[in-house]
Amino acid sequence: MRNIILIAKREYLEQIHGRAFKYSTVLVPLLIVALLGWSSMTNRKAVSGKHLAIAADNADMAEQVRRQMLDDKDAHFTVDVTAPASEQDRDALRQKVQSKAIDGLLAISTSSSGETMATYTSLSSGGFTDTRSMENALNRGVANERLVAKGINQAEADATLKLVPVETLQLGKDGKTGKTKGASPFYKVVMMMLLLSMPIMLYGLDMARAIIEEKTSRIFEVMLSVARPDDLLAGKLIGVGAVGLTQIAIWVVAATLFMGSALAASLLTGNFDLHFSWMEGLLFPVYFILGFALFSAIFSGFAATCETSQDLQKFMPVAIIPLYLSMGLLPVLLNDPNSAWSVAATLCPLTSPYVMLPRMGLETVPLWQLAVSIGLLILSIWATLWFSSRLYRVGILMYGKRATLPEIVRWLRYS
Amino acid sequence: MPVVELAGVTKAYENKVAVSNLSLSIEAGQIFGLLGPNGAGKTSSIRMMMGITMPDSGQVSLFDKPFERPSLERVGYLPEERGLYKKMKVLDQLVFFGCLHGLSAEEAGHRAVAWAKRMEIADALQKKTEELSKGMQQKIQFIATLLHTPGLIVMDEPFAGLDPVNAVLVERTLLELKDQGRAILFSTHRMEQVEKLCDSICLINNGEAVLAGNLRQIKAGYERNHVIVEFEGSSSFLLSEEIAEAKNFSGHAEIKLKPHGNAQKLLREAAAMATIYRFELVEPSLEEIFIETVGGKTNA
Repeated sequence: MRNIILIAKREYLEQIHGRAFKYSTVLVPLLIVALLGWSSMTNRKAVSGKHLAIAADNADMAEQVRRQMLDDKDAHFTVDVTAPASEQDRDALRQKVQSKAIDGLLAISTSSSGETMATYTSLSSGGFTDTRSMENALNRGVANERLVAKGINQAEADATLKLVPVETLQLGKDGKTGKTKGASPFYKVVMMMLLLSMPIMLYGLDMARAIIEEKTSRIFEVMLSVARPDDLLAGKLIGVGAVGLTQIAIWVVAATLFMGSALAASLLTGNFDLHFSWMEGLLFPVYFILGFALFSAIFSGFAATCETSQDLQKFMPVAIIPLYLSMGLLPVLLNDPNSAWSVAATLCPLTSPYVMLPRMGLETVPLWQLAVSIGLLILSIWATLWFSSRLYRVGILMYGKRATLPEIVRWLRYS
Repeated sequence: MPVVELAGVTKAYENKVAVSNLSLSIEAGQIFGLLGPNGAGKTSSIRMMMGITMPDSGQVSLFDKPFERPSLERVGYLPEERGLYKKMKVLDQLVFFGCLHGLSAEEAGHRAVAWAKRMEIADALQKKTEELSKGMQQKIQFIATLLHTPGLIVMDEPFAGLDPVNAVLVERTLLELKDQGRAILFSTHRMEQVEKLCDSICLINNGEAVLAGNLRQIKAGYERNHVIVEFEGSSSFLLSEEIAEAKNFSGHAEIKLKPHGNAQKLLREAAAMATIYRFELVEPSLEEIFIETVGGKTNA
């Protein structure tokens, strides 16, 4: 045990003092804040300040639509109305769109059978948020005009068509409810996945590279004369894992301090109004440790069979595919966090470190699923370590060439 | 009491027998040379002594007990290729290795500083290993091997990368350690160092011991049919009928006589043609014994 602690301590101190640790500790949060700021700014820009023109046959209807559009405080539309509009008026407005004098033209016409139709013309395909705002305004405006035309006064028509906002609430296990806003679950899920996958992958590969370096520099020859291979592997796993935990702890402290700042208040609103439960905070390091241990154990075995970092490239799909699968499952997860695929991904040991916490951000995961997920991860780590330590014991003393599959099988038999 | 003993040890990898039925023992206060051509099985033998690999058959004993890992705390091992952490500071590295061998960090630090002064590298203690020359790194590795005062010191090519001045420093240190009663095994290709330092040798080839025992006794077993001549003048005496083979290094000749060649006759011939400063009848050098014993039989 003493040797394991000494090896872990050396590994930890060397990495902590390394440039890679310092840079990644500072740069990753800066990158996330920059991305958050950029997303927040582009999000606001996308729904604000568009200059539109309405061309309609019916002036009352056009005015009602304009009123509804101006009522949408988030959209900040500027709206001109031309009604009744002739074909020449519509052509002139299309020219204005072409010359970018206005951002878009909403043309409303009523057929002889009384059916109302609308087209929207712009130089872009039309933003998702803008189009929805415009559709809402158009439908409310048309309905309003029809009610007023039937003799209902404006105030009554407005009261009749007043929108009822839907507040989305998430019920927790403790019976308490929490609010979710707009696209915030999406951003939360993506952030969780990034924060878990990046350290797991980076530190797993870091460990593999360290093994290859020590193998090629023959340090193992000295180390094995004082420590067992299993102690070496355990020391490395603990040391590198502790580095990852330290980095996460620094990020958590930095994030907590950042949350209290004015910059955070301006960025973390609307879709970016993110909240994390204590359970998520508790399970974050648990899933990091388990995910790191699993992928590091896999890579340690592979690394022992390699002579150079380039040799390690052929094993990269083992790390990348589970991550891509997890990311590919994001739409499924967001759409139905309780679907069979979502549940399977949170139970499968290769994807659960990436998927469980994002899923917890969307719904209350049953306790048994959490227990099975963690249990399966621990079992997988144990089984992987069993194989990897055998490869490691033989592989680290084999120099000269990359091991072939039959050789790897023989190594497993030796040890 | 042997400090290390290999009794009928065999190790094979797949179809290749690396070491076959090898037996040797090293006593305290003895320097032992493990010799052999490349691929003879020296490293495999050392790895079994160090518990890095286990023998397929036979027994390894350390300090008069069957091999057990705690005994390794009393062993110092210097591998053929330097095994140091490049990015680590020298002092931190020495303390780390000292601690792995059971020393406290404080004690390891004190000893590291003392050894660094003794090996004339105290200035390097705060530098990273990668900043040092190969010779300096070799001295660091040498100190790391000795820091915990091991009873058995195993060194694979300890003089690699050392200039003559530092090689002498290491030689003296090894002799001092021997005088202190440590058992030292070293494996090398540099025969002149083996002749100077070793009490006993084991020459292995193709995994088998082909020559073993006390070095002086081994050499005494060979006929004194080699002559070293230092001279000035004509070297035409090197064409004498008494000579089987001669190497002339401008004024220094190493001669192998024919079987039953007459050294006195050769001396008279040489004196007639050149001024002779030295004429010495000697045993064959260890290098010649090595080549004669394993020549043409290696797999390397």
